[in-house]
Amino acid sequence: MTLAADLPQPRESPDNAPMLAAWRDAGALALQRCEACDRAIFYPRPICPHCHATRLRWMPAEGSGRIVSFSRIHRGLPPVFQAEAPIVLAEIALAEGAIMIARVVTTAPEAVHAGMAVRLVPRAAASRYPLPTFEPA
Amino acid sequence: MLPSGVGIIGYGSSVYQKGAPRSELSYFVEAGGAALGSAGLGWDVVDGLSTSSTTLQPDNAVTTAEQFGLSVTWASVSNAGGAGAVVNVLDAVRAVEAGRASHVLCLAGAAQDGRFFRERTARFNNAVGDWLAPHGFGGMNGLFGIVQRKHMETYGTTRAQLGRIAVDQRASAALNDNALLRAPMTIGDYLAAPVVADPLGLFDCVMPCSGAEAILVGPLDRVPAAKRVRLLAGRERHNHPVGEPAPLRGGWETFRDGLYAEAGLGTADIDMVQAYDDYPIMVAIQIEDLGFCAKGEVGRFLDAHCLRWDGDFPLNTGGGQLSCGQTGGGGGMIHITEAVRQLRREGGARQVARARHALVSGYGMVAYGHGLSATAMLLEGAT
Repeated sequence: MTLAADLPQPRESPDNAPMLAAWRDAGALALQRCEACDRAIFYPRPICPHCHATRLRWMPAEGSGRIVSFSRIHRGLPPVFQAEAPIVLAEIALAEGAIMIARVVTTAPEAVHAGMAVRLVPRAAASRYPLPTFEPA
Repeated sequence: MLPSGVGIIGYGSSVYQKGAPRSELSYFVEAGGAALGSAGLGWDVVDGLSTSSTTLQPDNAVTTAEQFGLSVTWASVSNAGGAGAVVNVLDAVRAVEAGRASHVLCLAGAAQDGRFFRERTARFNNAVGDWLAPHGFGGMNGLFGIVQRKHMETYGTTRAQLGRIAVDQRASAALNDNALLRAPMTIGDYLAAPVVADPLGLFDCVMPCSGAEAILVGPLDRVPAAKRVRLLAGRERHNHPVGEPAPLRGGWETFRDGLYAEAGLGTADIDMVQAYDDYPIMVAIQIEDLGFCAKGEVGRFLDAHCLRWDGDFPLNTGGGQLSCGQTGGGGGMIHITEAVRQLRREGGARQVARARHALVSGYGMVAYGHGLSATAMLLEGAT
């Protein structure tokens, strides 16, 4: 079984550490929310990309959303991912309103469709993935 | 448009090769030398230099000047990926107009093998490296698979329609000795190709390769009137729309009207389009955003037009990157050199009959989900 440690890793920084820690330690999704315009933000950064306020706070997210669009990637994957092809990479509209591009793990990739509800993989499976990863809800 | 005696006076291309048998500097020398030769000038006139390359780092335009033994008064590096070559040439024209230099050589290209390309792609910038590569995103293919599926499901665009771009460009490439992919391709071949990142197939995905392209900017009166190419208008836009990882539109829609108005042209005046073709879906979106059809109608537009060099909508008349290969950084410049070649009526067997006005469009710097940079320029030849 491939473990997260074998996969390409995000570079941890003061800007993204709370999100990476929430995933690594609890299999949870943490998002920034702007205190000025109240919008959820992904990916983490030191300024709100919507209103440019700098007062951002971390909040726990539901970890659910709907697929907007997706690709099933069969070829051209790094060797460490090839055994798991096709990998489903999806644009996901999170319940909090932010848009994320993330992997959707499923045994039925042909059944994935736009509008499909997704949720975070169970906590026990989270350690396999370097970043928040989803499955059909 | 301000009257200007400055424009494009030379162009050149190096050979294109698979793998990286030579250095990027050697491709720059070949393409740059050809550009100077096409103007009847030598290296001694060059006092401005710009570079656009995925493999040149940590070197840049200044260190390239040292390599070539040039002392320059202006040097610039692109930061807009495949859209950067258009910016390089726009900036070069403005630099010469402003007296910052007299002759600027714009060099774009790379020496990249497959391994370098994959590693570079996985850390193309921090957003890609931190938020996409850890998912196993398979390079940029997965991202454009997301965009294409959304276009297909939103507007009914089909793979067979988008495939016309790859197929017609391949027909033009048959007349380009420099194209790496010249074998005839039918729409059946296109549709039957192996799936790479569903809905993208093999012939939707540009092939990385090595080589370079060059443009020489300087006083137009240095070359015969028939060889002068004027810049009528140019624009750039980065990060539009804000906050949409997989948009079905790009920065072109923000500047299209101003671009045409500055040039005093409309879409009906454009004799050829050289559009950044990393994927057919992005060419299709450029056709929409640059006003050749309404948003969402590009499928029907592609059904209704022939895109070959001798068709009614000549597109990427040398075969584009989809047939020539993508020389990382030179990928944006190949469209400018092909436009200049055609406007000078030096297109050889693939010369477009009516070749007075060309639209060149750039796209690049894929970050969180899509290319952030959109550029375009309108060029005018002598006849």
